[in-house]
Amino acid sequence: MISFSSFPATREYAEFSGPHHPYDPSDDVEMEIDEDYLDTNGSKLTYPGESLTSSQAYMRGHGTYVDNEEVIASVAGTIERVNKLVTVRAIRSRYNPEVGDLVVGRITEVQPRRWKVDANSRQDAVLMLSSVNLPGGVQRRKLESDELQMRNFFEEGDLLVAEVQAFFADGAMSLHTRSLRYGKLRNGQLVTVPPILVRRLKSHFIALPCGVDLILGLNGYIWVSKHVKEAEQEGEEGFDAEGVYSNINDNIDEITRTAISRVTNIVRILASHFIPLTDTLLIEAYDWTVDQEGGAKDLLSEDLSDALVTSLAFRV
Amino acid sequence: MSTTSLSKAEKSYIAAGLTQSTPHRADGRNLTDYRSVALEAGVAPLANGSVRLSIGRNINDNGGGTEVLAATKLEVESISIGESSEGREGGRFIVNVSCSPAAYPHLTQNALDDLQHDLTTILHTTLTHPSLHPQNLTILPHKKSWLLHLDLLILSDAGNTLDALFLAARAALWDTKVPRTRSVEYKAPRGSNKANAGANTTVEGGDIDVDSTAPSGFDTRTQISRATDFELPDYWDEGEALDGRDRWPVCVTLNLAPPVHFLDATPQEESAIPLRLLLIFSFTSTSKGEATLQAMRSLGAGELSLVQIKDLIQTGEKYAHSLYTALNAKLKDEDIRRTQKARERFIAARR
Repeated sequence: MISFSSFPATREYAEFSGPHHPYDPSDDVEMEIDEDYLDTNGSKLTYPGESLTSSQAYMRGHGTYVDNEEVIASVAGTIERVNKLVTVRAIRSRYNPEVGDLVVGRITEVQPRRWKVDANSRQDAVLMLSSVNLPGGVQRRKLESDELQMRNFFEEGDLLVAEVQAFFADGAMSLHTRSLRYGKLRNGQLVTVPPILVRRLKSHFIALPCGVDLILGLNGYIWVSKHVKEAEQEGEEGFDAEGVYSNINDNIDEITRTAISRVTNIVRILASHFIPLTDTLLIEAYDWTVDQEGGAKDLLSEDLSDALVTSLAFRV
Repeated sequence: MSTTSLSKAEKSYIAAGLTQSTPHRADGRNLTDYRSVALEAGVAPLANGSVRLSIGRNINDNGGGTEVLAATKLEVESISIGESSEGREGGRFIVNVSCSPAAYPHLTQNALDDLQHDLTTILHTTLTHPSLHPQNLTILPHKKSWLLHLDLLILSDAGNTLDALFLAARAALWDTKVPRTRSVEYKAPRGSNKANAGANTTVEGGDIDVDSTAPSGFDTRTQISRATDFELPDYWDEGEALDGRDRWPVCVTLNLAPPVHFLDATPQEESAIPLRLLLIFSFTSTSKGEATLQAMRSLGAGELSLVQIKDLIQTGEKYAHSLYTALNAKLKDEDIRRTQKARERFIAARR
């Protein structure tokens, strides 16, 4: 039922491990700072405080600062260069939205004619009443009566999938759900991963063969749910007025639930090993775990999760 | 305490999974499975006993999970009857829980204070109950005693904080060493009174012929003939273990989803269920320890009938016992690990 473990051993202070090496400047190999280095384009990680280049030849961008006429990285991340502008994109950061990105968000507040949405960004995103689809599918101006029943569409805590439409002057993003694929989420559970692990894919709606649908939000929120058949999706004709904004789950059988848990655990493991998520990788990983004949909870053990990651490393 | 916001669909997904014919949890665990619990004793060198504990830590990157730091500190307190000092015969014991704002980023300072106060009340009232009071907190009877502070800090919250707090409290108290003391007594020498009296007379002057051996009637100063204090016989000795280390209780939170109950809830699960029942048991040190229910509390808006409570207490006792034995085994392991580390250090230092 319960098992205790230890924290991983932290490195002891070196006081007893032998004499300290005195600092020898000749150990420092003079770092080559030239265009080649900056052109590596993401293949090398910076560390905070690392000197990148001369500030006379280059301009400092995000994630850098200038000291002593040198451009220095202020975060750990990958170097990017556009002409003479050097920026460092941090590895661990909040989500940086771009127009057209698919995100999964959670409603935090209902305000006049708009919802505030937590989308793992620096500021809450905004979903305007004018940028949601109305039940019934009709395209019309939003009336006062719609404003009064905004909580019937989305209320606090609700999860939704949306697209980044535009930015406000203060940098907050504006979302829209004007597509039949977007809208309220149900029949599943949410996993959170660092946003950098979700790459831009051809489609962020993934249907795994095990009867599980995944929505990879570029903001690192991932929705794992029961598969909905294309035909059953609320279509333009007979647009299900209740269905889109429904809070009631379908009946989910046990096999699907287990599959959902398994996929969730796989996503967690891959995220903790800092492996970017793709559809092929997830399918491979799922097949591998099914071969292991363990329950979904066995994936929580260290051995199996390590084995999973090594096996994927060989296949990919 | 359910501060995570969940949509209605997520809540019903979790609830429906639990009430299925074969109950199913979001991460595939069984109902009575705990997430992995990591524990390390002796993390704060200046404390008399300290422990770091985490539940549900991600094994791969050590992220997430509920993390609690607990430490005890002994303070000397003088007991004087009728004065303002708060010291009491037999020593006092104060428990305090604080929450790091980083653990609850969305809570305001006031809400955080409320939460800290609630948690402090639960732990303080349970742990300072007279039946658990350690016997070796007296330094000098009627004069001095130890004041035992137990401070717990929640570093991050990923559900099941109360179980974590009680586990950490038990482990830190188990780890606590009370310094050995020796009482020292000062007795005024027999002749000192006389000498003092003599001095008095000389000050007063020679106009009255007083027998220098008789104490002056005007001298109303009380002569302290005895003074008692204590000393530490060995500064480097950590001391003896705090008394009653087997009695400190463990807590099991039964999360109730009407036909079933489950243990070690994640924050999502906590906010999806209406009622939680807190059962706090202490066990006697004998191998087949008898359980005493030290405290019980229900959290949440749901209802419970007496018959249900009776059943739950019985099952809760079983869970608590396995928790208790597992924790004891781990604490003994920690003791061995630390003595080994100390020896290695000693050997390395001599080299």
